[in-house]
Amino acid sequence: MQVQTLAPGVRIIALPAEKFNRCRITIQFQFPADRSRATARALLPLVLARGYAGCPDMTQLSRRLAKLYGAGLSSEIGSNGANHLLMVRLTGIRDAFALAGEPLSDEYAALAFGVAFDPYLIDGAFDPEALAIEKGNLTRRLEAEINDKRLYCARQAARKYFGDAPAGISRDGYLEEVPSVTPQQLTEAYREILRTAAIDVFVTGMDPAPIARRLEQLLPGLGRAPAALLAPAAMPRQPLARYTERLELVQAKLCMMFTAAKPAAREEVAVYRLAMSLYGGSVTSRLFLNVREKQSLCYYCGSGFSGSVGCMTVNSGIEPADAERAEAAILHELQELCEGPITPQELEDCRRGLISGIASVEDSLGGLENWYLIELLRGGAVQSPAEAIEALGRVTEAQVREALRSFSHSVSYLVTAKEEGGAQDA
Amino acid sequence: MHDPLQAAAAAAAYETKVLPSGLTVLVRPMPGYRGAHAVYATKFGSVNQDFTLDGEVVRLPAGVAHFLEHKMFESEEGDAFARYAKTGANANAYTSFDKTCYIFTATDKIDESLDILLSMVGEPWFTEETIAKEQGIIGQEIRMYEDSPEWRMLFELCGCLYHAHPIRQDIAGTVESIAEITPKMLYDCCAAWYQPANMVLAVAGGITMEQVLAACGRAGLMQARPAHAAAPLWPNEPASVACPYKELQMEVAKPCIGIGFKEAAVSTNDLKARHVCDILTELVCGEMTPLYRALYDQGLVNPEFGAESLMLDGCFCILFTGESEQPETVRRMLLDEIARLRREGVDEELFTLCKNELYGDMICDLENIEAAAGSMADAQLSGYTLAEELAALAGIRKEDVDAALQTMLREEHSAAVLIRPLEDANE
Repeated sequence: MQVQTLAPGVRIIALPAEKFNRCRITIQFQFPADRSRATARALLPLVLARGYAGCPDMTQLSRRLAKLYGAGLSSEIGSNGANHLLMVRLTGIRDAFALAGEPLSDEYAALAFGVAFDPYLIDGAFDPEALAIEKGNLTRRLEAEINDKRLYCARQAARKYFGDAPAGISRDGYLEEVPSVTPQQLTEAYREILRTAAIDVFVTGMDPAPIARRLEQLLPGLGRAPAALLAPAAMPRQPLARYTERLELVQAKLCMMFTAAKPAAREEVAVYRLAMSLYGGSVTSRLFLNVREKQSLCYYCGSGFSGSVGCMTVNSGIEPADAERAEAAILHELQELCEGPITPQELEDCRRGLISGIASVEDSLGGLENWYLIELLRGGAVQSPAEAIEALGRVTEAQVREALRSFSHSVSYLVTAKEEGGAQDA
Repeated sequence: MHDPLQAAAAAAAYETKVLPSGLTVLVRPMPGYRGAHAVYATKFGSVNQDFTLDGEVVRLPAGVAHFLEHKMFESEEGDAFARYAKTGANANAYTSFDKTCYIFTATDKIDESLDILLSMVGEPWFTEETIAKEQGIIGQEIRMYEDSPEWRMLFELCGCLYHAHPIRQDIAGTVESIAEITPKMLYDCCAAWYQPANMVLAVAGGITMEQVLAACGRAGLMQARPAHAAAPLWPNEPASVACPYKELQMEVAKPCIGIGFKEAAVSTNDLKARHVCDILTELVCGEMTPLYRALYDQGLVNPEFGAESLMLDGCFCILFTGESEQPETVRRMLLDEIARLRREGVDEELFTLCKNELYGDMICDLENIEAAAGSMADAQLSGYTLAEELAALAGIRKEDVDAALQTMLREEHSAAVLIRPLEDANE
């Protein structure tokens, strides 16, 4: 990986990847989450992906992508703790496969930069008709959250866990605010991102030099005044809060959230990786082997950890009648790891699985890009997969136990089947 | 001078060997890749319910192929995951309508992981007790899918289109059907469908054919073995649809609409039919089409509205699904657009763009070790090679699509399913 800083808060990250059949450009804007702009920002990727000044019509844009052998254009909003991300990504086959010898990578760069930096505007604002259509789509998407019960439960739990904290600001916007977003507000939100966001352009499997030149030419017109990003922050410890919501469903979902009360430090990343693998992040974990396989309490039961907010989440799909037993079993396994024996064999099994997974990230275009994208978002020194494997090798049982002991249970959110005459408790 | 066709052909190339045991081995060494991905697959999926084994008829309840997939991870020596944990491989398995695949990805101890893969599938072990335990876990999996509107839509549509074909039934079966499973049924399935001649081992990445053959040798697959005579039994399936319309209610935010078309079944290795079908569905409602744009701009469907096709033994159908608050309007617009294309012929430029997209998709599918091994195995089980698939695409003409439209996507062979939100139903 080569990082070139073009201006304050503006970088080009080149990832050599000639072995792949495809190449990719990802333009990423990172900025602090802002409650007042969240819904307008959530609409931005939808409106941007419809077209740009050089190709305003979404159907024509689809045809242009098809002409580039089905190049994939995506625009999405993401989050990194209390900061949000707007990403424009274009992936296509390498020039070597172009049937008529077309210079595909030049086209990819023109398209990705067009979508990210040169939107189609009418009288200086986003097209009101396009905005109206995308407001309808965002509304439908937000309303459809309930269709995926697993995701719905996890999001409801996160809402309770984060409350009004910056990390709890929804990157997907707020349903009740969608109708009132105007083209002018959307344009203002977009301009503000161009002006203040940290801009990282990932160039994977392509020559970064022409892309760097393209970006340098753009910068003077953006009126750049980079704003500071929000530092990682964890939720404080709190008394356990339980919520139950009843729906017409067959399998109940339980989401449990725990805080470490501090974000993970750079050097703790390997420790938390191993801790998660041991607790619930792998098929050799305690949750998988004991709660799912031995006790048959959950069809799925897994843990994950977000270092930027110091939060561990355990998601499970359970029989409605087994909810209490499942929660007790999940907590019991955590307690056992904190206080009971951890065998060298299970620790090494988990370590081996993690090392194998990390060793293979460079075998896929997405895996390679995602690795460095996350490393850069984490801040501090960037670790290569090889360095991360070395760090994993140094993690001790005592460190794992200490990491797991740092968690306290904050929220349990249960989405379960309706009872006769039952009411929603959440 | 660089030849893109040569580059594409190289990307689709792999080595093939048929072993004395009957197993087909496909290997694609990929220089520069650290790991290897292996797929050990049998042409035995959820639709293979009835068959003859050495002259005897075997009839299975729904969900046996998927159940068997779960059970293969257990042996008298213990759990295969525990054995994989010693190599660091990431292992899994899945069952579809027409195949069951056992997979792993590994960057270290690849030979040892191959040994585990070949032995776990080659040495089945089932008891009443282990079957009873698995019924609980799979019962939960079945219930999880019952809450998924997309999954329900798929099987409701297949249930409307087909009278008797087993595609009507959920891949995992039902809680009741899996309760009927016995050890003998599972052993019969192994004898019929897990014999090497019915299987393929596809490996891609940092691996060589020699390594894979050595593992096959250690697993006894280099020796000829007595074969069981097995043949699928398919029910008689009329050309008509079983039920033209069905409505149900679920906890969903918006109504979900599905419109299915029942087509005349074709051979699974009919590459022309496969490509024509892919192009046709793109030309009807892909993102480049006027229909998609009209539906999108009027907010009649969600952006994910689109089509998929199922091409299996004795079954070929095309399903259009999405969310809509005006499902009948969407169904009518879809049928009108199909009629227009049938009348006027498809757009030449759009046709070429669709072919371009399919070519790009195929190149993309050959990039990762997982996708490469998976594509190789799929192609082999369906009876073609990836090079043949690429060549067949190049040969598709606009006239082929126009001709197909005269017989395909007919309203009289269609069915619609509507999933309504519960609130609507209560009104």
